[in-house]
Amino acid sequence: MLAVDMTGDAVKAKNGSMVAYDGQMAFKKMSGGGEGLRGMVTRRLTGEQMEMMEVKGQGTCYFADRASEINLVSLHGDKLYVESSNLLCADAGLRTGTTFTGLRGGASGTGLFTTTVEGTGQAAIMSDGPAVVLRVTPQYPLSVDPGAYVAHQGSLQQNLQSGVTFRTLIGEGGGEAFQIRFEGDGLVYVQPSERNTVGGDV
Amino acid sequence: MSTPVIHDPSTLPSDDNVNAYTFCVELKGSQWFLQKGKMIAYYGRIDFNGIGHGRLDRLVRTSFHSPLHASDWVVAEGSGKMLLADRAFDVNSYDLDDGNLTIRAGNLLAYQPSLALKQSIVPGFLTLLGTGKFVAASNGPVVFMEPPLRVDPQALVGWADCPSPCHHYDHGYMTGVMGGLRALTGLGGASGEEHQFEFAGAGTVLLQSTEVLMADPGTGTVPHEPGVPGAGSGHGQQGSAPRLPGQLGDLQRRFGL
Repeated sequence: MLAVDMTGDAVKAKNGSMVAYDGQMAFKKMSGGGEGLRGMVTRRLTGEQMEMMEVKGQGTCYFADRASEINLVSLHGDKLYVESSNLLCADAGLRTGTTFTGLRGGASGTGLFTTTVEGTGQAAIMSDGPAVVLRVTPQYPLSVDPGAYVAHQGSLQQNLQSGVTFRTLIGEGGGEAFQIRFEGDGLVYVQPSERNTVGGDV
Repeated sequence: MSTPVIHDPSTLPSDDNVNAYTFCVELKGSQWFLQKGKMIAYYGRIDFNGIGHGRLDRLVRTSFHSPLHASDWVVAEGSGKMLLADRAFDVNSYDLDDGNLTIRAGNLLAYQPSLALKQSIVPGFLTLLGTGKFVAASNGPVVFMEPPLRVDPQALVGWADCPSPCHHYDHGYMTGVMGGLRALTGLGGASGEEHQFEFAGAGTVLLQSTEVLMADPGTGTVPHEPGVPGAGSGHGQQGSAPRLPGQLGDLQRRFGL
């Protein structure tokens, strides 16, 4: 559960994720995630739909969603890439948008587009079990199972790595047919659980 | 909520837990057996190969003796650090020192090749023999108990050093027509705990703190041979007379008809 103390300022949160609050709060649905008409159209087109609301007021507001674990991410002018379904809450000052992820999304079963959060402030992301934060540096590239990937931040290049060989086709696959390989400088959030993926059972 | 700890290859533990739900294995040119799909991320160069991979023939010959589970296991090989996790269940590593341990097949995540994996004669369970480390998952922390003990079938994770369990039925409760009806319908107060596994002898029994089971992957059946427990499953009742329509099946035996 996430508790947000507010003194007249606002946060963006996933629609319907408020579980309790004390003080005075106003909830306002943000059409299209508060990204304006263009954002709305983009989200509709990309299928990366995100229902957000704006919470404003004085007091403490509590957010939670399906008992999933909540991880706080501090952003200092950098960009966080997260699946819209994993984003719970963000400071109102953070800009959200949509971006193309390429093949990775196809493999992780979460669509070809992802949500970006940009600016300075804090965002709360959800994971099934507490997320492990892994640093990627140029010397240490990281490979992640698409089903366990939650989010990443920093300047990272991702590419899909496939271990599919003729053995996969004859049922002798390595069980880890697809991985996302992150190279560059940044952080990757991984959850201790796997979504069912297209590649997961290969 | 505190700021999360950021891990990189130098701060990740070697063959230890990162947190209660994630385990880190360090590979230095060595090999680990791994259940398919339990790897969530890795640093370095690691290859995953199915058990049937020709190059692994010798390794498989010494430490993998369960053809039924062969399609669920892979060998990780290379150097780097690898994170393992399973559906956000608790994971823990255990050391065996020239010992034996039997565990529910779905709960075992990974083991060192210095251990030998064999199929237990209890269907759905695997036995590890030898010296080495293995990683197992459980829903909630694992509790260690000593026999004599009766445990709920759903809470059982595994057992070490003690003879295989037997079924225990609360006999007085279950016999007779009324008892059978009560057990079947729940009318008249079935507690749901009429059936347990009973352990005797010396050893350790591992229990999980919930009754949620991991989904068991379909593993087929053991060779169809006389004297092999579980070999007849899927083929109906062998040995007994074919069931006629209108018969009560197993019920009649329970009621002593």
